[in-house]
Amino acid sequence: MLQSLAGSSCVRLVEQHRSAWCFALLVLGYLLYLVFGAVVFSSVELPYEDLLRQELGKLKQRFLEEHACLSEQQLEQFLMRVLEASNYGVSVLSNASGNWNWDFTSSLFFASTVLSTTGYGHTVPLSDGGKAFCIIFSVIGIPFTLLFLTAVVQRIILYITRRPVLYFHVRWGFSKQVVAIIHAMVLGFITVSCFFLIPAAIFSVLEDDWNFLESFYFCFISLSTIGLGDYVPGEGYNQKFRELYKIGITCYLLMGLIAMLVVLETFCELRELKKFRKLFYVKKDKEEDQVHIMEHDQLSFSSISDQAASMKDDQKANEPFVNSQSSTSNDSSLNN
Amino acid sequence: KAMCSGRLQTALLVAGYFVYLLVGAAVFQALERTAEKQEKMAAAQMKEAFLQNFTQLTVAEMEQFMKNLIKAIQNGVYPVGNESQFEESNWDFSNSFFFAGTVVSTIGYGTLHPKTAGGQIFCVFFALFGIPLNIVFLHRVGKMLSLLCKKLGKFLYEKGMRKKKIKFLTLLFFLATGILVFLCLPSVFFQITEGWSYSEGIYFAFITLSTIGFGDYVVGKQSDRKYFSYYRVLVAIWILFGLAWIALLFNL
Repeated sequence: MLQSLAGSSCVRLVEQHRSAWCFALLVLGYLLYLVFGAVVFSSVELPYEDLLRQELGKLKQRFLEEHACLSEQQLEQFLMRVLEASNYGVSVLSNASGNWNWDFTSSLFFASTVLSTTGYGHTVPLSDGGKAFCIIFSVIGIPFTLLFLTAVVQRIILYITRRPVLYFHVRWGFSKQVVAIIHAMVLGFITVSCFFLIPAAIFSVLEDDWNFLESFYFCFISLSTIGLGDYVPGEGYNQKFRELYKIGITCYLLMGLIAMLVVLETFCELRELKKFRKLFYVKKDKEEDQVHIMEHDQLSFSSISDQAASMKDDQKANEPFVNSQSSTSNDSSLNN
Repeated sequence: KAMCSGRLQTALLVAGYFVYLLVGAAVFQALERTAEKQEKMAAAQMKEAFLQNFTQLTVAEMEQFMKNLIKAIQNGVYPVGNESQFEESNWDFSNSFFFAGTVVSTIGYGTLHPKTAGGQIFCVFFALFGIPLNIVFLHRVGKMLSLLCKKLGKFLYEKGMRKKKIKFLTLLFFLATGILVFLCLPSVFFQITEGWSYSEGIYFAFITLSTIGFGDYVVGKQSDRKYFSYYRVLVAIWILFGLAWIALLFNL
């Protein structure tokens, strides 16, 4: 009897601390992932950088030799000024003077990249007033964007995911899980081709020196809101219809972001993924009423899908739509 | 009836969002256009003066040289300075680690970016798995931070305060300490280590923690400054906790 008691308490100990073990694994895994990334990036990019540095050193040497009247110090001063201006997006080359960074359509593009937190950095506010306004604009605008995206995505999900899944489940008689999985895969495939492959092909045609891989890379880096800024469309030297092009790109990025969120939400609603995620989250304590409005990062919809899940479990799944305000009041009433 | 008001709400929200973008664009344009004009004029004047000083240089040669230089800059190689600075690489381990962190947190400064095709493909897959991992990780760290607030709430509850007041106070406390610890104090720190003004420090802190990450201000990138060895690690820890704080702020 003692043995069985000791055995069960051991199991209980492991079970109680299961969440702690999972968290420790998560932290370790995260750090290892970063280290792994660093090693791979370093080994892939270092040789190329080495080559570029040598090439540049030789170029500078040759230039100074060919023009002996130029002292190195004067050249350095000139270069620093040119590069400073270049950092701000102002090119001193003669054939690039046509492109303005702050005309209306470029400013619109800039505003949309700020609010989506992409932030390419190819144009940055130069003046102090611009920087201050940028902060104020974002403090109001980013929550606004989250609200906007949440509302739009919830309504789209209803028409694109819930109704079709229900329809196929009822009409064809497959189990809901099977239909959901197939639907998620089909949706993912369609989204990837419509928002990655086709735009990548279009960009590789419209932009002079982008091949298909670079265009695809641009689409991915933009739609994930990383926004490195190494590739920015519409900045080429004699870009035709630049204004229209910039507006088109703004619309594409916005729609692409919405599409990504729809796909993410669809995948998150799959039961298998929900179970996996719950491993890492802390159990909800119901003692204090927490009013979850929305999760910060646009790519994380745990609060919305959890609300949706709790509503599904407690009520019928045929809710017309899930308004974020009504669901929070429901959530707090469930907690009470 | 509920459906009607819901549709109206959505329509208003969508319209309001686009109006907000348009207004922002107009204000940015108004604020920045003159500064950009001045910058262009100054750059052109400097180029003129330089060419006048050195008449052996033809304009074409100059343009070609500058084009090559600018391309090098965009690839992250800074050609100003003496030979010893050529020894430090942009892709040594600590810089690559910092880059991996900016990709996974979606900040994406862009001062460093992969140039080779292999690097770009790897970057796509790395981010594909890394971003969800980062979200889950930040969520957990944020919950740890919120435990502090809960303790404060419990303490006040035992003192007999009403629940609503506790909630308001804990939110205020969370907001105030967060702004102090994650925005104000680091800006003072950056004044010392980077030589930025206080407002530039706040601007950098905000742009980083909101994950916008323009890359016009980046820590540890000034070639004429000496940084102590664990500077970047300290900054990374600040970014991590700051992001978790912001994520939690939207949850309170």
